[in-house]
Order: sequence, then C-alpha cells, then structure tokens
Amino acid sequence: MNRSIVSERWFGYLCAIALTALVTGAVALIRVVADVGNASMLYLLAVMASAVLFGRGPAILASVAAFLAFNFFFVEPNYTLSVTSNDEVVALFLLLIAGIITGQLTAQLRQRADEARAREREAVVLYDVVRLMADTELERALTAVAERIRVELELSAVVIAFGKESPIRVQADTGDGEAIALAREAMGSAEMVLGGGQAPTATQRGQPGRWIRVVPPTARAIARLRNDRVRSVPVNLRGQPVGSIILVPKPGAHKIGPADDRLLSAIGHQLGVALERLSLQREATEAEVLRKTDELRKALLNAVSHDLRTPLSSIMASAGSLRQQDVSWTEDQRGEFAEAIENEAQRLNRLVGNLLDLSRIEAGSIRPEKSWYDLGSLINEVAGRLHAATAGHKLIIDVPDGLPPVLFDYVEIDQVVSNLIENAVKYTPQGTEICVSARTAGDEVEVEVADSGPGIPEGAMPRLFDAFYRASDSGGAKGSGLGLAVAKGLVEAHGGRIRVANREGRGARFLFTLPLHATEFEPPAKTKETA
Amino acid sequence: MTGSGARILVIEDEPGIIRALKTNLSAHGFQVEPVDTGGAGLDAYKRRRPDLILLDLGLPDIDGKEIVRAVRGDGATPIIILSVRGAEREKVEALDLGADDYLTKPFGVDELLARIRVALRHTAAPDAGSEPVFKTGDLEIDVAQRVVRVAGMEVHLSPTEYELLRAFASQPDKLITDSMLLRRVWGPEYGDEAHYLHVYVARLRKKIEPDPQAPRYIITEPGVGYRFVTGRG
Repeated sequence: MNRSIVSERWFGYLCAIALTALVTGAVALIRVVADVGNASMLYLLAVMASAVLFGRGPAILASVAAFLAFNFFFVEPNYTLSVTSNDEVVALFLLLIAGIITGQLTAQLRQRADEARAREREAVVLYDVVRLMADTELERALTAVAERIRVELELSAVVIAFGKESPIRVQADTGDGEAIALAREAMGSAEMVLGGGQAPTATQRGQPGRWIRVVPPTARAIARLRNDRVRSVPVNLRGQPVGSIILVPKPGAHKIGPADDRLLSAIGHQLGVALERLSLQREATEAEVLRKTDELRKALLNAVSHDLRTPLSSIMASAGSLRQQDVSWTEDQRGEFAEAIENEAQRLNRLVGNLLDLSRIEAGSIRPEKSWYDLGSLINEVAGRLHAATAGHKLIIDVPDGLPPVLFDYVEIDQVVSNLIENAVKYTPQGTEICVSARTAGDEVEVEVADSGPGIPEGAMPRLFDAFYRASDSGGAKGSGLGLAVAKGLVEAHGGRIRVANREGRGARFLFTLPLHATEFEPPAKTKETA
Repeated sequence: MTGSGARILVIEDEPGIIRALKTNLSAHGFQVEPVDTGGAGLDAYKRRRPDLILLDLGLPDIDGKEIVRAVRGDGATPIIILSVRGAEREKVEALDLGADDYLTKPFGVDELLARIRVALRHTAAPDAGSEPVFKTGDLEIDVAQRVVRVAGMEVHLSPTEYELLRAFASQPDKLITDSMLLRRVWGPEYGDEAHYLHVYVARLRKKIEPDPQAPRYIITEPGVGYRFVTGRG
C-alpha cells in the first residue's frame, strides 16, 4: 500500500517536469512564428497546473525547472546556463519567484478545497449515522451504520460490537462472511488492547484507532492476514471504552488516510453518544414499567377489595335472609332474594372474566383464534344476551345487510361489544338511547356504541382506556374500570383501534375498528351453486 | 319435568359443585353417582353403565379428553362437559372427540337441565330429523321433495345451503361443532376451514330466519359451533 503512495508522489514530480518540457516546446514554437518578449510567463501555467494537480512540491520543482529551461534554451547565449544581459537576469529571477509564489498560493487553495470536501463528507456521513441510529431497534441501526461505513471506505467487512463493559450488549456486522469472521477473531485482541492492558487515558478519547496485529487461530485467517490488517476504532461511553468498530479492508485497497481516521473517530464518538442516550432511555423505561406495575397492583387491590366485596355482600345478605327461621318470607320475597344472588353472582363472574382477560392482555398472551364471521349476528347475539341489563335503556341496533364477513375471534369480540354496551348502560341515565351500529370504512369495519348520557369530560379522555381508571365525576364507582381496558387490549390484539369521542349535543361514542381483508372472501360451494 | 330415573355419572373434583349438582338433579328425579377422579369415573362407567356422564375437564388425575376417548371407544353414552372460561380450545377438542355438549362454569340449573334433556332424547331417538317432513316454528323442511318453506312460502336454497340446513335439522337442539358441520357438508378434507361455514350460515340465516340478525333457529355457540334450536326440549 505504501508503495502506491510513493509512486503517486513520484508521478506528480514527473508530471511537473513533463509540463515544463511541454511549455518549453510551446515557447520554442511561438518563437519561430514571432519574437515574443515575455514568453517566460507561459511557464507560470505549468507551475499553476502542477500546484492544482499535484500540490506544493511538484509546483516548486516546476518553478525551478522553468527557471533552468528558460535560461538554457531561450536566454542568450543559448544552450548554456550563463546569462549576459542584466535585464535577462532580473527577468529570470522574477520568473522563479513568481513561479514559487503562484505555486504556493495555488497549492494552498487546493488544500483548502480538499479539506472542505473532507469536512463535507464527514458531515454527510455523520448525519447519516445519526439518522440511522434513530432506528428503535439497536441491532438493525448498528448494522445500517456498519454498512454505511463499509460503503464509504470501500472495506471488505465492518463489525460493530459492544461488549460486557457496555450497558447494552449488542453486535452488528456487514460485508463479506470470511472477513466478518476475521474481524470477530480480531475483536478479542481489540478488547484486550482497549480495555485490558492499560487504562485508556483522556487523550485516547476520540483518537483514531491503532493498527493491531491479530493472532488468529485458523490457518486460513493467517493466510489472509499476510495481506490484510484489521483496524479497530474504539467507542467510548462517559470516557470508558465500551465497544469498537472493527474494519477489515479489501485486499490491496487504498490506505485509510488521516481524513478517514478523523471520520472514524467522529463516528465512534457519535455511536457513544447514541448508546448513552439509549441506555438512559432504557433506564427511564424500566423505571416507568416498575411505576406502572406498582400502580396496577394498587389498583388491583382496590378493585378486589371493593368490586369483589360489593356483590359478595349482597349475596351473603340475601342467602342469610333466606335462611332466617323467625321470618316467614312470601314466595315473591324469596324469589327476589334468589334473583339478587343470581344477578350478583353473574356480576362477579363478569368481573373475574375481565380480570382474567386483563392479565392475559398485560402478559401479552392474547392469541385471537380468528375466523370469518358475520359481525351483525354477533352484535345481535350480544344484545340478546344483555337483554336484562339493557332493559332500562332504549337499545337500537343499526347494522346494514351488506356488511362483508369479518375475520375475528368470536369470543373476544363478543367481549368487546359486551363491555362497550355494559359501559354505556352503567354511565348513562335510565330511559336514554344506546345505539350500536356498524359500517365499512375503507379497508376496515367500524363498530360504534353511541349513548345519550352526559358525555366524557375532556380531562378524562386520555386515561379512559387505562385499567382501573374511572372518570372522577362518573357518578359514583359503578364499574370496576376494567371493561374499557379489556376492550382496548382485545381490539388491538386483532389489529384494530379503539377510540372515544363526545357526540355533538349530548352523549359519548365509542368506536372500534377491525381490519377488512383486501380480497373479497368467497368460500367454495360444495357443489355447483345455482342460487 | 322429572328425570324419569335416568342415572347420571358426575365426574367432578369440586365438592361444592358436586353437592349442588346432586341436590338439584336428585330433586328432578335423576339418580346421581358422583366420583371425584377420572380413574374412579372410568371404573364407575364400566361397572354401572350410566345413562349420561357429566364430566369436568380439569380433573386432578386424568386429562378429561382421555375419558371422552375411552367412553367413545366403547359406546354412545352421552357426555356433557363442564369447563371453565378461557379453556375454549380444550373444550372444542373434547367435543370433536365425541362429547355431546358443554356447560361453562358458572352455569345455571335451567341450562344444565335443558342440556341433559336434549342429550338423553338424542340417545332415545338417535335418528331425529329423518322424518319425511321436519317442522319447527314457521320453518318446514320437506326432505322427500327437497323443498324448504318459511311460513308456507317456498324458499330457494342452493345445494350447499340445503345440505347445511339438513345437517342442522338432523340434530335438533344439540350442539354441533364447526368441524362436524364442515365434514358433514363439505367433506372430510374441510375440517379446519371454519370460515366457509360461518359465511354460509350467515346466508342461510338470511333465507330462513324471520330476523337474520337476531336468529331464533340457528344460534351461534361462540368459538365452538352452532345449535339448531327447535324449542322441542
């Protein structure tokens, strides 16, 4: 690799001489045609071209060569380096000085342009890295970053690894499989160099990586290593090395220059920042989960102590009354007690059912057993079953005939519709209307339970679907605060959405959607259909 | 109505439920023999040859499905399963193995008695629905003519719809699982394609039900199957 750099530099100097020779030829030609006094200025072109194309050194060489060539070929006496006229001496030195200054200025311009290009590339790559790290899935993000580095530096493989010192252990790789294996072998050594042997000092932070020789265990890797060197760039978190970017160059590829080094350490720094942000975020999420779990536990205790005890009290009171020896109840009164026991037991059963569903939802173990059903039949069946509960309200069902079959778990969507209707019954005054309707809307079907009650206070909207939440001015604790949370969990397990809105005028509407499947469903007939 | 002395084997390990079942069923004229393990249940079945079995699926010793399998390998004694909410899959498996019906705990006494009556009637007259003209409510199926009438008006059914209705009518009031219906109407290779069935049931309801959205003949048993209700029980 060094050889190519050396020959590149020689090439520059050779070209500078060639350019000077070319100008010499041109001046000679011009002299044949006409006697031009200050043809020497043409040499400045060669100097400028050398400066732009090859830098400062070749430009100086071109100046000196121009000075000598002009002297040798065109200054009297010709074909010697001696000068007779004083004017000519001044002209020659002016040529030399002008050449050197022009060369310097032009070379400086070129260098600034190069630096600007390098900075621009750095900015673009860093911007890409930041953008790629925004991916919530860390491994995917790192793989994308590794690929970006690999493409940018034309490498054979890139591995990004965060080891046991990192708060998040993760590895990502990209590129040629064999080269990845090589990088992984190098990683052990890299970690040793970075974390083991010596403590990293503050000045090492953000420094370009060092070349490390890897002693790989396999013969194949050794064979590869004769040509390749694996490079490691450290990634630091709060000043401590936590991982590295391992680079495997392509055999015979161009050298990783100082600009690349700067770029790599900037990327390393950026990854460190991203990692820090992620680890802070995770800590915050864990704290939030703990807080929520605690809140849920408290709410659960609340619900158990209150919502289970209330029906139990009525049951015990009714059963106790029936057993009383000293009172002779009429047949109607006995019937009332029995009915109370039955109703309260049913209420308990629904509560336990919702608690069970909620625990399944919280555990993420809801697996709908979907099949194609007629949504209208389901709504009517639920309405029929809840007949006793809805007797005090005017229940209106409005489902169009042409509703296509929908894919869902019957038991679970039955529960959703039941919970929404029961919710409407609980929180709206007797005698008001509850309207259950369904319609297709684009590629989904929408079910709406609209009531004519007081509506939902704006402040309660965002938490309405939280478990155990009850709107504070909902007129006493009638419900367990479970029904809507369960409905939400079940609808979402079906890939649908649930929301609530207040109606214009009076009342609230709860809406949920279920996806309709793009292809129109047509079951096979058993035999040829004529109907 | 009394149970006319039919002998019921109750395989259930909850003492509270056994007590309630025994009190209620005895009061309705059934002879009840309770056992609290699957092993004892199988013994009692072989020894006593009961008229009907009430079987809890969550027994301590044997999987309830194994008992269904063993009894079906031996005879047609009706089996009614007692299961809990959330065990839908297990319940459907037991039904597909040959159990006749199910009740989800907690259940009411009326429901229990209705199920027992239907199950016993089916053993007494296994080929119900094979009479030349089947009538329930406004619905009339003339099997010989292959004609279906609702309130005296002929209704045109496609061959699949007709087969489906015949399948229902052959087992009035009895629970029929999705896969039983599919096998019977579409053939054995369709056992798992329940969605065909639900769509055809919806079509059939539109033709024969007075109010297709609030059906009175073909009732959905959520997640399990259907029941063709005649009100004869």
